[in-house]
Amino acid sequence: MSLGGIMRRAVLIVLGLLWLLPTYLLLVNAVRPATEYDSDHIWTPSGFGFFDNVRIAWDAAQLGESIGSTALYAVVSPMAGVIVGALAGYAIVVLRLRAGFWWFMLIFGGTIFPTQMLLIPLFLGYSSNLLYDTRSGLILIYAAVCVPLAAFVLRNFFTGIAYTLYEAARTDGASSWRIFWRIYLPMSLPALGAVFILEFTFIWNDLLFGLTLSQSESVRPIMTAVSSLSSAYGGKSIPVVLAAGLFISLPTILLFLLTQRLFARGLALGQY
Amino acid sequence: MTKRSRRGGLASSDRLGGYGFVSPAVLLVAGLLYLPFLYTVYLGFTDYDGLYPASFVGLENFRRFLEDPALTTSVRNTLMWAVGATVIPVGLGLLIAVLSYGIRGGAIYRLPFMLPYALSGAGLAVIWGFILQSGGAANDVLGALGLPGATMRFLVEEPANTIAMIIALTWQQAGVNALLFLVGLQSIPKEPQEAARLDGATGWRLFRHVTWPLLAPLTTVVVGLSLVASLKTFDIVWVTTQGGPGRNSETLAVTMYRDAFVSAEYGYGAAVAFALSLVTGAVSFMYLRRQMSASKEGIV
Repeated sequence: MSLGGIMRRAVLIVLGLLWLLPTYLLLVNAVRPATEYDSDHIWTPSGFGFFDNVRIAWDAAQLGESIGSTALYAVVSPMAGVIVGALAGYAIVVLRLRAGFWWFMLIFGGTIFPTQMLLIPLFLGYSSNLLYDTRSGLILIYAAVCVPLAAFVLRNFFTGIAYTLYEAARTDGASSWRIFWRIYLPMSLPALGAVFILEFTFIWNDLLFGLTLSQSESVRPIMTAVSSLSSAYGGKSIPVVLAAGLFISLPTILLFLLTQRLFARGLALGQY
Repeated sequence: MTKRSRRGGLASSDRLGGYGFVSPAVLLVAGLLYLPFLYTVYLGFTDYDGLYPASFVGLENFRRFLEDPALTTSVRNTLMWAVGATVIPVGLGLLIAVLSYGIRGGAIYRLPFMLPYALSGAGLAVIWGFILQSGGAANDVLGALGLPGATMRFLVEEPANTIAMIIALTWQQAGVNALLFLVGLQSIPKEPQEAARLDGATGWRLFRHVTWPLLAPLTTVVVGLSLVASLKTFDIVWVTTQGGPGRNSETLAVTMYRDAFVSAEYGYGAAVAFALSLVTGAVSFMYLRRQMSASKEGIV
């Protein structure tokens, strides 16, 4: 091995070990039984109480309800969002909507607004329309946020499909509605899946919308629940908070490990 | 396929139907993104507090905004985030990608950097809140290495708390930046590098004169993405310190949230949000233009 090769590996190993330190601390202290925690002995493992810690957090912050609600938001909203986005892409590309490009720009333009610009009117509007602190309110805003990216990706995807396919199906007497559901939507499943995964992660990790638009333990999303847990607790219960932080990250950790490449590519277009 | 068939009866009825297909997307985006955006712009010029009807106050919020001492701190912190949370994670990501590209077992060397990325923002904040607490792990490590800072109260003192949280974010983001650069390294043309290598260029010189220029368009994109995200930093600050103590670790996004939803000063909060989005909008615009040219060259 060349000197350069050894140097490269050495730098990577030193940096890597440095990076593993917080990971190590997290694992050791999240599995430590809550009663064993002592702020002077955080570096050495003692016992295994991960599931007990999660259970304590679960009861204290009623994580169960939050997780159920969050799973609902993170599945239903991106599904609605990608289908609505796909319909728009289909209308623009396949049905050749007049001024299609401008419709597309209008929809895709939705990505440029920072969340902070939406919060106050959403809060005020939700409060006066009985959507505040409701599951349907959160599903609605999360779905809207998913639409622009879905329209962007699906528009690109449909552009790559030969128009003759549509014409042939029309000639056979299928309606454009039917062609969408039976031909175009199934064909675009890989693209839809990629968008779905990105949006799932975004919603699962969202804090701001949850913080602003919900309040009760059964409606508020999981990140909001955990952030309240971390401010309400101190001292002895650190293992509980850490276990909760780790536990709620499990779905995204799994998704990430399964789809690393997709994340990297998707990130470039799905940052907002 | 011809123009005639597109203009035929079939196609024009499709076109009418097209409005039906596009309308759900337009309604959702217009109603929940455009309308709130415009309303925030309007509120920024009023004194709305949720109780009394909004009255127009012109630029009063923005004037107050410039005199608000909490805001000076907030702007300073936001700038620290914009620079620190861009330069450090992007630089380290590039370093990790270049060092691990093409060596055997590269993916294994990269694994320690990838794991943190999958953690949620709240999860990240919880861990680093624990590491950075006074007398916590960060103090232990610095003490053991004989470095200054063994008794530093990282979450209390300013600007140490902002710097510490930037390091926390770096820990999370470096890996995903490395991944982006890796995709870039795999897609840049091999010939120039081969030619340079034949000419005897290795290591730093090969990187500096061949690889780096080829990566430049992608670097612009990665820097732009990080910059826009770090200007809007909220989650980690809110969960770790709530912007405190005494508002000294607030970013503009936190200031906006506090003014609007803790103090119920919707008009003033809207003005802060508007100022914040002007800045992020300008930055996004600049990097989007670069991204367009980058994608034309087929890098991204």
